[in-house]
Amino acid sequence: MDQIDSLLKRPRAYENIDGVGELNFGFMCLAFALIQWLQVNTPEHSIWNRTYVFVVWVGLMVMVMYFGSKAIKKHITFPRTGFVKYGTPGKTRSAIVAMIAAACVAAAAAAGVFFAVRAHWNPTSALPAVVGSFVAAGYALGIARTVPWKAAGWKWAVPVSILLGSIAIAALPADLTAILAPNALAITGFRAEPVGAYLLCLMLIGAMFLISGGITFWLYLRHTQAPAKEAYEPGNPDVQ
Amino acid sequence: MNREIQTFSELDRVIHEPGRLMIVALLFAVDRCDFLYLQHETEMNKGTLSSHLSRLEEAGYVEVVKTYRGKVPQTLLRLTEAGREAFQKYRKKLKKAL
Repeated sequence: MDQIDSLLKRPRAYENIDGVGELNFGFMCLAFALIQWLQVNTPEHSIWNRTYVFVVWVGLMVMVMYFGSKAIKKHITFPRTGFVKYGTPGKTRSAIVAMIAAACVAAAAAAGVFFAVRAHWNPTSALPAVVGSFVAAGYALGIARTVPWKAAGWKWAVPVSILLGSIAIAALPADLTAILAPNALAITGFRAEPVGAYLLCLMLIGAMFLISGGITFWLYLRHTQAPAKEAYEPGNPDVQ
Repeated sequence: MNREIQTFSELDRVIHEPGRLMIVALLFAVDRCDFLYLQHETEMNKGTLSSHLSRLEEAGYVEVVKTYRGKVPQTLLRLTEAGREAFQKYRKKLKKAL
């Protein structure tokens, strides 16, 4: 029965066999970190602080993620290891899980900001550690459910690095993190220290996901190759 | 005859064969996939996989659609409703027997 259960989980693991999911998430985190860094490092009335620029930025980011992953799947993954279309129930369940996870991260981040900006609290202590531990826990849960240890045990280094890195960021001197967001108070209403720590944390998460996705993609390319083309015979299911 | 042993004899023989069991379990978890994906996951050669699929198609458990992705021919496969029901029944019976 365990073998049947593991077979049933294989298509879920196949979704990220090429690392595209991680590349997308890493790209999204770094893109958000970049726009937010630009916002808090430029004057209040600069172009980066206009709402429409943020909307266009997010639109471009979504387009790159959508068309980029579609292109990788179409031109690399499907010709090498096959095409899969997942059922609606699974997608709905995944979407619900993703929404709950996102809501938890958002709530944790909001709580982190709230506590961090209180005057008697060390401004950098809460936020990165809370966000980092939530993301690390979510990632660890994901790989525990879909990736067998033997196949990619190295992936466990990612949540561990995110967790330790976010704790290290939380322990950084407040003056150091404040350098990253000099205009934060005027633009976001939050002090520079927690905003700088948040940006560092976002960059760390984005970089770790991008590295993990890149390694997965590289290993996928290294270990797979498209099958040799054969003459097409109508009615022969062997010929792809 | 012992009841558990009797349950074993009632298992669906089309699905019970290890190669076909792999195929049906993989198809159960997706909406549809192509021949190449099944070949990659099961590590069977084309002939073996093709003969298992023919057997499953005969039993009405798998639907085979031949199409094209651009200019490349593609064989799409999906588990029919009968196939899904048969697999669920098979799992229940196997669980009971074990």
